[in-house]
Amino acid sequence: MTLLAETVAPAAGGGWLVAAIIFPVVALLLAVAGGARFAARVGVLALPAGLAIAVAIADGVAKHGVLGYYVGGWAPPLGIALRADVLSAAMLVTTAIVASGAGLYALHDFGPPREPGGGRQTLGFWVSLLGAWAALNLAFVGRDLFNLYVALELLTFAAVPLVCLDGRAPTLQAALRYLLYALVGSVLYLLGAVLLYGAFGTLDVELLATVVRPEPAAWAAAALMTAGLLAKTALFPLHLWLPPAHAGAPPAASAVLSALVVKGSFFIVLRLWFDALPGLATAMAMQFIGLLGAGAILYGSALALRQSRLKLLVAYSTVAQIGYLFLVFPLAFDASAGRLVAGTALAGGLLQAVSHAFAKAAMFMSAGLVAVALGHDRIEGFGGLARARPVSLLAFALAGVSLVGLPPSGGFAAKWLLLSAAVESGQWWWAVVIVLGGLLTGAYLILVLMRALQEPAAPTASLRPVAAWREAVPLALALLAVLLGLAGLAPFQPGAGTGAVAAAEAFQ
Amino acid sequence: MPRLLALAPLPALAASLIAAGAPRLSIGGTPLVLLFGLDAPGALLLGVAALLWVAAGAYAAEYLRDGAHAGRFAACWLLAAAGCLGLFVAADLVSLYAMLAMMTIGAGGLVIHDGTPRAWRAAATYVGLALLAESVLLVGLVMLAAEMPGPGLAIDDAVATLAASPHRDTILALLVAGFGVKAGLVPLHVWMPLAHSAAPVPASSVLSGAVVKAGIIGLIRFLPTGEAMPAAGHLLAVAGFVTAFYGVAVGLTQRHPKAVLAYSSVSQMGVVVAVLGLGLAAGDGGAGIAAAFYAAHHVLVKGALFLAVGVAAAGAQGRRGWVLAPALLLCLGLGGLPFTGGAVAKFAVKDAFGTGVTAALSAASAAGTTMLMLHFLRRLAGAEVKDAARAPTGLLLPWLAMAAAALLLPWFLYVPAGLGTVGGATGLEATWNAFWPVALGAAFAFALRGRADHLPKVPEGDIAAALEPAAGLTLRLGAALEGLDADLRRWTVASVGLVLVAVAIGWTLWRG
Repeated sequence: MTLLAETVAPAAGGGWLVAAIIFPVVALLLAVAGGARFAARVGVLALPAGLAIAVAIADGVAKHGVLGYYVGGWAPPLGIALRADVLSAAMLVTTAIVASGAGLYALHDFGPPREPGGGRQTLGFWVSLLGAWAALNLAFVGRDLFNLYVALELLTFAAVPLVCLDGRAPTLQAALRYLLYALVGSVLYLLGAVLLYGAFGTLDVELLATVVRPEPAAWAAAALMTAGLLAKTALFPLHLWLPPAHAGAPPAASAVLSALVVKGSFFIVLRLWFDALPGLATAMAMQFIGLLGAGAILYGSALALRQSRLKLLVAYSTVAQIGYLFLVFPLAFDASAGRLVAGTALAGGLLQAVSHAFAKAAMFMSAGLVAVALGHDRIEGFGGLARARPVSLLAFALAGVSLVGLPPSGGFAAKWLLLSAAVESGQWWWAVVIVLGGLLTGAYLILVLMRALQEPAAPTASLRPVAAWREAVPLALALLAVLLGLAGLAPFQPGAGTGAVAAAEAFQ
Repeated sequence: MPRLLALAPLPALAASLIAAGAPRLSIGGTPLVLLFGLDAPGALLLGVAALLWVAAGAYAAEYLRDGAHAGRFAACWLLAAAGCLGLFVAADLVSLYAMLAMMTIGAGGLVIHDGTPRAWRAAATYVGLALLAESVLLVGLVMLAAEMPGPGLAIDDAVATLAASPHRDTILALLVAGFGVKAGLVPLHVWMPLAHSAAPVPASSVLSGAVVKAGIIGLIRFLPTGEAMPAAGHLLAVAGFVTAFYGVAVGLTQRHPKAVLAYSSVSQMGVVVAVLGLGLAAGDGGAGIAAAFYAAHHVLVKGALFLAVGVAAAGAQGRRGWVLAPALLLCLGLGGLPFTGGAVAKFAVKDAFGTGVTAALSAASAAGTTMLMLHFLRRLAGAEVKDAARAPTGLLLPWLAMAAAALLLPWFLYVPAGLGTVGGATGLEATWNAFWPVALGAAFAFALRGRADHLPKVPEGDIAAALEPAAGLTLRLGAALEGLDADLRRWTVASVGLVLVAVAIGWTLWRG
């Protein structure tokens, strides 16, 4: 791996990277200053603008392969570097799209307050959304482990209020649970970072990669940082906070939490292992991380099957889908070279992260609309739903197509790449897990859809109306997830396509 | 909307007539290219399947008049039709898989149409097994793709790779298992009788006629019949024969005419698989088109007979002859009665069965089929009829059209399919060879008449019904997992878990 200074054409569009971080922060400050009456408007204006910035970065990455920026003009180790590669660009665009969708969807619940003095929840939602967005963008372009720590902390503090917007005791308890566990994770991460700095004198990702040696300090640091990040990502068996956090959160907040927030810490695990410490990886350690992922897939799916509330079913489905992300580590490990290699497996993991983000956001939003219409979200009582809420159900089903991994969805392309990596590296046991997970996913989604297609047991009480535009948001996101696999048809589209080649090239 | 269903498959019908052998259509570029093309077996099956979708679509328009859920039915119908017809033109691994998935989802929707508990159970079994099959298939396809040189994923390149692959046997086993479920190979056939008898009549017709051919076209496309693989081929042929006789045996115990027809489909797909297996064993490259021809005849006959069940049930007052007489011809035709379309179909696969044991088994299966189909005819004639009702012309016409197609079309398709001249099928020896199994089957059926009702009653979906207690075990396992989750999400456990994960990662980095 070469030094950043040699590979990055300075300032070739690098300013966009700064804008991606500063812009949501400015919007956040404006929202706080303007109060609840102003927050929703600021948010709605900021989201599309932020999407434009993300697209500009993706465009730059497509042209130059990578964008870089030295904050204050100082190169590491003195200064701080920002850098966007294909991974960053894909996640930046995904985040901007999902956040825009969530914002649009939330306008109904968290629009400008009608009566003066109201709107505490409105302010809370928009400030949290913008804060989480800024934190995620920082996580995606940061190239310094301390910088990434700041992003992690900001992300946690922005995400916790999303869990308890209504301020009732159960949601506050869930939020506290999340906060405490995430803080323990942060402490472990920080401890690891300190160890690395003490041993190697730098926290810059590129520099670390050149100086890290396999020695006890590096092992301890890697173990602590990884464990902390896994806790924040809610990887099985460290998922204690995730189901309760979703139980009482509003749908838009759940969408952000499940689709984006957990991907932030996952992304940092990727950075840590693929960019900062690729040579430290051992076959056994990677198999262990993969084992946790496999456990998550089977366990989360099996528990999703047991849920009687739709929201919790979708939450356990997130526990399962996070598992797929961590199969990347054993699959990307090149045993002969003794290091992690960016290739098919990483491209599959990236695609899984992106398509799961779209699909899961769509699922939480349509589940929310179903709950509004019925007044509850007990799956037993879904009879007649297909006729009453066809658009919401269609969005849910399309999102399900991607989760199960049917073509042409992004989920299918991700599964194909992960399976290919398993076959190419001869690790057939992960292929078995991937296939079993797909079957279980199919089972719990079919369970929901079958209930919804059945006739109601008793004549349904009048359903509450739902505005058509609110149903359009999850439908659009679900369609994105389903059509994502077709992006591979267009020649070389980094960030959107099945870019095994793209991801690999960006890393070399 | 349902009124127009018959128009949707017309482009597919046109394509089968004019596009066979045309240059492939290629969509996209690196890293993903979708290819569509039409080879001889594909064109043959596409044509007859499109014809069935047209006739059954017209039938459905009448059948669904004033019925509930017509919109949902139409949506599922079109989805299934698109997948089913698309499968015959898909020429790369990804679009093949996509078409299969689309077809499964649509067909599952068709099965639940009536909304009865029986329909739900059938649909759950069908979709569950189909997903399982597609997963197995996916692994096989990915293994194949991993060994293919270059970025393209064309099926013919894949088959060439398969022949030389070090993992040939594993991949072949996965593909045969996957397509075997689709074609209803015993013991993976359980979804077929359930789904085909629970679906509304026009849906049963396309499911049993066209949709099951997904497995057949898959096997035709992927089995490397170019070189002899005796062990694998004979294994496949045995599976085919077992399925052929099992379908007849269980079918004879069924009371409902649709269930009898469904078991007959199981049996007939067994015959096709036996042809393919023998072709693989002998390295006979012509087995594919022969099997496709036999399957094409089955598309027409089985599609037509399901429609007849609906016509009879709608009331054949004054029109009984219009139902039973053509049905008798089709039934005996499926056994291979000379001068019917079935005789040509049997003639097409005659060489594949050769002489000796396999030829005897083939004749025995023809006799069994005749017996089963006459059993069907008895159940059809005895089926309850709405009092003094008269089946609407909208139902009668598609049935008669399909019946005529089943009797006549094979004669005209034989030469264009490239199987040689059809004259041999009317020769004295061929006529005798086709006639005696039918006569034998008819004699047995006569001897059995009335006694079939005293046979032990095997529930529809035989083994699936026997496996249901396993569901209880799964439920208990789920309850245990819930208890585990409550423990895992306790603070003390989660904190210890976090420490253990950190220690484990550190230890594996150090040791490994």
